[in-house]
Amino acid sequence: MDMNQTDPDLWKEIFNTDDLMYCYNCSTCISGCPASQADPPLLIRNLARKVILGLEDELFDDDTPWTCVSCSLCEEMCPMDVKPFELCLAVRKWQSRNDETRIPPSIVDIYRRGYTQAVGANTELREQLGLPELPVLSKLPEKRKQFQEMLMKTELINENAYMFSEE
Amino acid sequence: MEMGFFLGCNMPAIRPDLEKAIRETMPDLGVDLIDMEGYVCCPAFGSFPSTDDDSHLAASGWNLSIAEEKEVDILVECGSCYSSLSMGRHHLMQNDKQRDRVNTLLEPTGRTVTGKSKVRHVSDVLYNEVGTEKIKQVVKHPLEGLHAVVQYPCHTLYPSEIVGFEKEARKPVALENLVRALGAEVDHFSREYTCCGGAGGFTNNSPAEANGFIQETLDAIIDETKADFIVTSCITCLMHLDNVQKTLNQQVGEDRYTIPVFDYSQLLALCMGKDPNQVACISTMPRDAILERF
Repeated sequence: MDMNQTDPDLWKEIFNTDDLMYCYNCSTCISGCPASQADPPLLIRNLARKVILGLEDELFDDDTPWTCVSCSLCEEMCPMDVKPFELCLAVRKWQSRNDETRIPPSIVDIYRRGYTQAVGANTELREQLGLPELPVLSKLPEKRKQFQEMLMKTELINENAYMFSEE
Repeated sequence: MEMGFFLGCNMPAIRPDLEKAIRETMPDLGVDLIDMEGYVCCPAFGSFPSTDDDSHLAASGWNLSIAEEKEVDILVECGSCYSSLSMGRHHLMQNDKQRDRVNTLLEPTGRTVTGKSKVRHVSDVLYNEVGTEKIKQVVKHPLEGLHAVVQYPCHTLYPSEIVGFEKEARKPVALENLVRALGAEVDHFSREYTCCGGAGGFTNNSPAEANGFIQETLDAIIDETKADFIVTSCITCLMHLDNVQKTLNQQVGEDRYTIPVFDYSQLLALCMGKDPNQVACISTMPRDAILERF
């Protein structure tokens, strides 16, 4: 590895917290991690190393953070309180900021209808079960407009506004 | 006690019988549920929490501020929603700058977020507010003679500092004691505290390995226990454990995996005498062997 090709300040851009520097590679974050059994495996310890060492190119192309199940067992068990789950999300955020193809399509769904699922579409079944009409965003146009206007003011959505226009 | 019922997306959209079970049981136990009009996605960890802090905390603040306006705590069943809302609240309470930013973004709604509304999981409220003694009193049809195993939703356990409500996060007892209060025996197994693996990118990005992961858990349940059914308290665990058994049977070429799966609130509703056709009518694995008792 050529350390002249690395960015020693990369960690500040990705996960600007001293917590990270306490990682001593013990692998507690890997044992018990469901996604460590994925192909390719999510190895949080290696992710921490890449961030600390500033291996920008490797991190940019690393798909494994997206395999995390968000169970947060690593966060609970890490003996040095590195906050590995937060680190995993931070790497995803850094990738999304720097590569628009990383931005999950689900945020467009949420922007348009409030949810990832078509909540409120199964009205017949809900009626059969005697359930009330759902208090969802699609039935509250004023609130939906406020929600979209709020999101459009946030950084990443504002920068990628073209993704969110209604067809 | 009045609580804002945060429905999430999977429960009202795909398993509304579970929503019915919660709406039918909680008021009888002294917890009145009010709707959170205009609530949005929790936000799911794979959405805004994977793109930037600004939209992530704006969406958290949007939901939390609805409960704050109504002056209620939030009741959640879905593990991911519970964890996302709890972590969002935690970040907003820890970081004044981010909280000010979200309150600026919320200004046009007339709502604010201060952190005064807590986020509570349904199993926490049932165990720590209602209590097993009260639950025993409302049980009309106990689950006597049946064996259960419990799938603890990981999002209700970790990180315990933020989401925890157990005395010892690494030795959770709430759900199994709740199941015992319904009259069933709870068996233990070697993978009892292992995540179901159903949330997030594991099942999408690595489906064969994700199926193998949960197969080990189901094998442990079959080989090590007398389980008549699995109990959980999370829509992701419920749907994953139920649906994956069909896929695994197709893989192994026989009906090895046929364990009925219930959310705790569904069993509670059945034991309280609610209509099985309303509170437990949607499943992939047949649940007739249990349902015919009611």
